[in-house]
Amino acid sequence: MLMWEFIIPLMAAAVQSGTPILYATLGEMMTEKGGVLNLGVEGIMAVAALAAFVTSFATGSPWLAFLAGGTAGLAFASLHAFVCITCLGNQVVSGLALTILGLGVSTFLGVPYVGLAAPGFDPFAFPLLSSIPVLGDIFFRQDMLVYISFVIPFFFWFFFRRTSLGLHVAATGEMPAAAAAAGLKPVALRYFAVLTGGFLIGLGGAYLSLAYTHLWTNGLSGGRGWIAVALVIFAFWRPGRAVIGAYLFGGVMAFQLRLQAMGTHIPSSLLLMLPYLLTILVLILSAWRGRRIDAPAALGTNIEPEA
Amino acid sequence: MSELRYVRPARVRPLPEGAVPVVRLKEVTKRFGKVVANNAITLDIHSGRIKALLGENGAGKSTLMSMLAGRYKPDSGTMEVDGRPVRFESSKDAIAAGIGMVYQNFMLVDSMTVAENVLLGQEGGFFINPGEMEARVDALATEYGLAVDVSARISDLSMGERQLVEILKLLYRKSRILIFDEPTAVLTPEETNRLFEALWRMTEQGKSVIFISHKLEEVIALADEIAILRRGRIEGELDPTAIESKAELASRMVGKEVLLEVDRQPVEVGEPVLEIKGMTGLGLTDVNLEVRQGEIVAVVGVAGNGQKELVEAVTGLVKPPVDTVFIMGQPWRKFFAESTWNRSMCYIPEDRLGLATMRNQNLVDNLLLTTRKGFARGMWLDKRRAERDTEELIRKYDIRPGRIHALAWQLSGGNLQKAVLARELYRQPRFIVAEQPTQGLDVSATEEVWRRLLDARAMAGVLLVTGDLGEALQLADRIAVMYRGRILGMLPTSEAETASRIGPLMAGVLD
Amino acid sequence: MALKIRKRDEPWKWGALVIFLGALLFSLGVSCLLLAGQGKDALHGMFILWEGSFGNLWALEGALLKAIPLFLCSLGVAVAFRMQIWNIGAEGQFALGAIGATWMALSFPGLPWYGLMPLMFAMAFLLGGAWAFIPAVLKLKLRVNEIISTLMLNYIAILLLDYLVFGVWKDPTSFGFPMTPEFTSGAVIAGIGSSRVHWGLLFCAVVGVGLWAFMRFTRLGFELKASGEGARVARYAKIRYGLLTMFVMGLSGGFAGWAGCIETSAVLNRLQPSLMVGYGYTAIVVAWLARLEPLNIAFGAFLLAALRVGVENLQLELQIPAAFGVIMEGMILLTVLAGQFFLTYRIERAPREGGE
Repeated sequence: MLMWEFIIPLMAAAVQSGTPILYATLGEMMTEKGGVLNLGVEGIMAVAALAAFVTSFATGSPWLAFLAGGTAGLAFASLHAFVCITCLGNQVVSGLALTILGLGVSTFLGVPYVGLAAPGFDPFAFPLLSSIPVLGDIFFRQDMLVYISFVIPFFFWFFFRRTSLGLHVAATGEMPAAAAAAGLKPVALRYFAVLTGGFLIGLGGAYLSLAYTHLWTNGLSGGRGWIAVALVIFAFWRPGRAVIGAYLFGGVMAFQLRLQAMGTHIPSSLLLMLPYLLTILVLILSAWRGRRIDAPAALGTNIEPEA
Repeated sequence: MSELRYVRPARVRPLPEGAVPVVRLKEVTKRFGKVVANNAITLDIHSGRIKALLGENGAGKSTLMSMLAGRYKPDSGTMEVDGRPVRFESSKDAIAAGIGMVYQNFMLVDSMTVAENVLLGQEGGFFINPGEMEARVDALATEYGLAVDVSARISDLSMGERQLVEILKLLYRKSRILIFDEPTAVLTPEETNRLFEALWRMTEQGKSVIFISHKLEEVIALADEIAILRRGRIEGELDPTAIESKAELASRMVGKEVLLEVDRQPVEVGEPVLEIKGMTGLGLTDVNLEVRQGEIVAVVGVAGNGQKELVEAVTGLVKPPVDTVFIMGQPWRKFFAESTWNRSMCYIPEDRLGLATMRNQNLVDNLLLTTRKGFARGMWLDKRRAERDTEELIRKYDIRPGRIHALAWQLSGGNLQKAVLARELYRQPRFIVAEQPTQGLDVSATEEVWRRLLDARAMAGVLLVTGDLGEALQLADRIAVMYRGRILGMLPTSEAETASRIGPLMAGVLD
Repeated sequence: MALKIRKRDEPWKWGALVIFLGALLFSLGVSCLLLAGQGKDALHGMFILWEGSFGNLWALEGALLKAIPLFLCSLGVAVAFRMQIWNIGAEGQFALGAIGATWMALSFPGLPWYGLMPLMFAMAFLLGGAWAFIPAVLKLKLRVNEIISTLMLNYIAILLLDYLVFGVWKDPTSFGFPMTPEFTSGAVIAGIGSSRVHWGLLFCAVVGVGLWAFMRFTRLGFELKASGEGARVARYAKIRYGLLTMFVMGLSGGFAGWAGCIETSAVLNRLQPSLMVGYGYTAIVVAWLARLEPLNIAFGAFLLAALRVGVENLQLELQIPAAFGVIMEGMILLTVLAGQFFLTYRIERAPREGGE
């Protein structure tokens, strides 16, 4: 009874609300693997969400809109790449500036769209797989973008373990000087990591306006970008753990919404605190495990040009 | 120290008549800001031979070779490989031209495996397979008789093994011109011998080796030809067989007569300033050590055998086990809880710019860094007096540029070390921990540091941690050799056979 | 002509100012494009922005008024940034300060100002400081990244404020609006003379000068500066880095808390959600633009406050969304960061290569 009416729908909702976080976490992980810290995730998601929404609104094509979201994320991340990789700006401050700018841009340009709806992605039962008991209900009655997000972690793993480009990006994140001495181009590789990461983060933003809601409202990102930054640490820079983390947060967000809908006596402002409290808790737990070593060694440090 | 420790397998090979150089540098110049690192250098490299580039730290050897390896671009001049002019945009171009370099700080990614490091940038395709990569590197290692575990992570390897990985990288890239930048700095004498043998073998296969060093005896033992670099210029090229004495070579390297010896008069020994009693932990095992006022005790060993841990524990950076470390007669905890800014312990660390000084602050603030308590009046700092005293120290120690508002990063290595020394001696220490105090310094600065340390014995005991055996033998009364966190031997420098006993101990060989 | 990057031998003396002005010009240029994109006359818009910021006494008063909380928050941010502790949490610490002040104001409504004000300021400092102290302890004891923890505490603080004004502190006579009752006169900071500017300005001046003197002339201030070069240097110099971190974070949060206290007391006269307008984030922009120097921060706070006021004018006259100001803030900061490249490097013409 409780199982079918509450827990399984909750877990399905967890997957859905965890999906934008998953995209963003993998995007940030990609960026950090190349040695660049991008704290602009929140801003990138906001801009990408708007770009996706506007595209869908104008063209009526959700797929085009999804790509537009990714592209907007890439374009916006390129600002961070330019400031940090080319101009050697402080990565922390540049990321913050990017967040401020992105939230501003999305609010500013989104004004005419507030409250409007646009075509997006709707859940459908995945052929065959959706009939698996329990798992099918949780994972395979979702929208297309969720299904896509299932395969990205595998691609991610494959990229770093089985392709030379992945090895080069990781080497740049660990020790740019060694990569350069081996004849690689660390600057180009870092650009690649930041831009690809920005694209993935942008897809996460697009999910918010195309599938999570089909409406445009301000503040759609709602701290998810920051949660993604925290989840990269929690995941020890591994895609598998990112999936667990993202669904955990999706679960808490879904749970909190459900409780509100059911009309509890707990004030909504306290319930809304849950994901943010959990973020701190998760950081405490990962620090407690003490796995600092997994962070790319050159994370956050810029490559000084050698004249 | 006078006898050569390395034995050449054959005599120096004479250069055949009319041999064509594989690499030719013509009038190559490189500037960094106002500093001319290389000034119109012309140099030939022949195949099948070992060329030593001899020079002091800062003479421009590494810069010159970094240009040949594609890391820097020359400001003017040309480089030719096989008679054709080349311009390297990056290391990749140099690698393609057959030039490979082993840098002083290894260019290896610690978290990756040996195989991944060797094949980095040479994977031979977009898709890779870790197992196949390991097999490929293993085959290469076997072919050259180099024993290394190809699936091990670099962080688990010793310095000697890491060097093998660097050599494997060059071999895999089929480099014909191999550049080694101070390769012996991290090796035991035994490992050095093995490296030299490997270098000779490689030249027999027609490869050229360029060996950068400032150690005279190594250069004499190894090279077929020697080029001396001084202040960015080629001072001269010579045939190692024609060298009459080490002193002659040294004076050409430095540009003036140098005393490679300092005059060390014994000083009366007083109270112990450091006692380490059976310390186990922090990666150290059963370490016992005593330093008394009036003496210098050197700790030597290959880098990474526990010297860093020992220094950190003694200087209060990390906490040693209880009741193992006593400083000036007090237990560690009590000493650091009550320590005063002066007449106490001072530490001259290896990392001058990142640890001993604040890179973006001026000399006054850097003086205050460890002496601030001496300039404090209540909660306020007497900056005026600090400025006056800084000026005085700058004069006394001849620190350049002689402005109190110069920032730490603007000082050269030698001047920065003088500034650190000036500050720490200003504290009138009773116990000095000096870590690689002359690394990277020119001869005159080295002599000054040595003299100051010897003078300091009048009031203090000195713990000298150094990788330079010559320095240890010059300055110390006793030498402790460290190996894998243990002190394997404590040798008095007054005994003649000490010099020859250090090498085996550094490699962990007890008699 | 080939260009070449060279590291500077000497710092570029007026570089920071030149870069700042350049960034400002660039950002204004892009803003013009944004306005044009909205179908407005860009130059006219710039004029309105200028009029709204500096055009008349009313505008200048408005800017000063907004500069007060910005200045205090920014001082706090700068102290932490100096030690390379990334306190992004000024927004939350500001909220907690406001909560602390309100708590006192609501608890002791009968007290005269000289009794109540010290209580309000003390509690604002205490709560704001405590809100920053939590991440400091987490960072030191468990190495929890302070960027994320301070940021999460911002969200939590705003929700806590919501909880209070929607719940226990709600004014029963407010017709359901989320706000506390209006403060009694003893809890309100008065205006200076007949102007809108209040005595909080004087408080800012005292705090600013005090901090400047502290940083420059005291031993603790020196230790703080030294710790800014990294934890390793601090340990080398036998500076108690952990203790200092907690002290600095407490101070940093306390300053933001004072800003919250002043804003609640002098401007709103009650606690309500509209208090939170992002001063804590703008403060980060100000602190970095000012290169963390107290005097520069005063100028920076005034400038960005003026920008906010000007944007309000723009919003009123041309119906430009308020986010326009946020975009400008982000853009100026990003451009300054990019421009700081020229502080360490210079670009010069490469000499001709020998053989060509």
